[in-house]
Amino acid sequence: MKAKRSTPYIFLLPLLIAFGLFLIYPLGKVVGDSFYKFSFLNPSHKIWVGGANYSWLFTFKLYNPFFSYFIGALLRTILWVGGSVGLKIFLGLGGALLLNSEFLKGKKVYRTLLIIPWSIPWAMSAMIWYWTLNGQFGLINSIFLHLHIINEPIAFLGYPTSAFISTFIVDAWIGLPFMVIMLLSGLQTIPKHLYEAATIDGAGDFTKFAKITLPMIKPVLLTVSLLSLVWTFNSFAPIWILTRGGPVTATTTLPIAIYNTSFRYLTFGGVGKASAMTIFQVLLVTSVSLIYIKTLKGAES
Amino acid sequence: MKRSTTRKVKGISYQILAILFASFMLIPIYQAVITALTSPSAGWVSPAPLVPTNVTFSNFINAFHLVQRLPIYLLNSFIYGIGVSLFSLIIAIPAGYSLARFKYRLKSPMMFFVIYANMFAPIMLLVPLYVIMKAFGLINTYWSMILAGSVFTIPLSTWLSVSYMQTIPVEIEEAALMDGCTPYSILPRIVIPLMKPALVAIFIYAFITGWSQQFTLALVLISNDKMMPVTQGLYQFFSRSSVSWGPLMAAILISTLIPVVLFLLVEKYIVQGLTSGSIK
Repeated sequence: MKAKRSTPYIFLLPLLIAFGLFLIYPLGKVVGDSFYKFSFLNPSHKIWVGGANYSWLFTFKLYNPFFSYFIGALLRTILWVGGSVGLKIFLGLGGALLLNSEFLKGKKVYRTLLIIPWSIPWAMSAMIWYWTLNGQFGLINSIFLHLHIINEPIAFLGYPTSAFISTFIVDAWIGLPFMVIMLLSGLQTIPKHLYEAATIDGAGDFTKFAKITLPMIKPVLLTVSLLSLVWTFNSFAPIWILTRGGPVTATTTLPIAIYNTSFRYLTFGGVGKASAMTIFQVLLVTSVSLIYIKTLKGAES
Repeated sequence: MKRSTTRKVKGISYQILAILFASFMLIPIYQAVITALTSPSAGWVSPAPLVPTNVTFSNFINAFHLVQRLPIYLLNSFIYGIGVSLFSLIIAIPAGYSLARFKYRLKSPMMFFVIYANMFAPIMLLVPLYVIMKAFGLINTYWSMILAGSVFTIPLSTWLSVSYMQTIPVEIEEAALMDGCTPYSILPRIVIPLMKPALVAIFIYAFITGWSQQFTLALVLISNDKMMPVTQGLYQFFSRSSVSWGPLMAAILISTLIPVVLFLLVEKYIVQGLTSGSIK
């Protein structure tokens, strides 16, 4: 559309102001803060410490002789995100294939059932899951006990390994509906005649999946997985509500470490150290975003 | 003959898989419902019965006795949600118009910046947002939650707005331009009325996402009990040493009803917008 050169910028102005004030300026502040020592309780009293916060990240150890608190959190984040996103992709693709199948009856009902968990606020879902995973009266324990899979109830959130697994399963549960619905809409764009032609050629179900479905759905699968990857890296409220990062540090992922260092562990932490951690969180997310943007660019051309 | 039996086997096995999948998705919801329906006098036994034995609706009334400010929390969440939605619309519509309809040098970098901005989460910016809001004197006000909350919903709202505008034929606007209209009058008079489905989708998307993010933002922006969103308000009762699960689950069910119903109404639009924007 033809217009004065300034016109598009004027329409963009509210966005630029909002981003400038509440995204770019705070981000700059995080960078600046990472060179100071100060507490959340008294943010005006800042002491310049140079790179000390960054070297602290690699030297400060808590209950772990091998890794620093930060490195431990970073490694844990990668494992945790891998578990959660892996589940989201695997179950998401499985669910989408089921809902797209001509053999399944009652698709509308299943679809509606899937939408309900999607719209529950994450904090609410986590609070309900906390009770569902309760070590005595929770539904998971009572199902397992009634089916005689276990004889004694398990405190799922009470042990490091089971808490780690439980939290990423809950996170996957929260993110699954998005995955299924997006992948389903991708599957629905595959022309039916491709499958018909393959059937005539005598192709089996697996061949059809490997040769038609997977290549056709690959762009959607890639973009949705990358989006989910970033969101999962940023996941905070579910873990915070379920375990607060515990037991000990078993579920302390990077977002939890950032929060605890800023607001809870004032004796060893502080905003400066948390800001240094945030820089790594931003770098992590930025690198995934770059891949995401590159994929989108590739899809465009 | 053989073919029809394999069809039957497939039909049954897919149904079983779908039921297993649905059960996994419904476990916590079922847990919340049976806990809310179980009479407090029943007492807790392990293993807990899979079907409530002593059904009562009294927990839904007790919820308001336990969480006395429940109506206030709900109202707060509503105000925060609607504020975030309105803000997202006010910013995303003109930005979408700019990015969908004009050609200029910063257009492509801006598009990618909008996608990039979508990757940020409240947890990264909690401290600076707190400091900024404190400097403006906005801690414990609706404004702090609405302004900080919108930052995280504006990117996808803008994206939805761009992708919807691209589906509207540009000819009507060009004709209006010939007749002497300016872009400033075309947007409200011609484009916005044509965008009703997208407006609804953006409004609800921002409302639901905003509602979900209220918890993390409120951890630093809100400390006054009267200003808390419902997630934070209920969390106080949840983190006590002895929790009254029946009324608490009833309170959770009451307060999730609004977002669930809204989402069911407009889910189609949101999925359409998301798929046309981020996938194709």
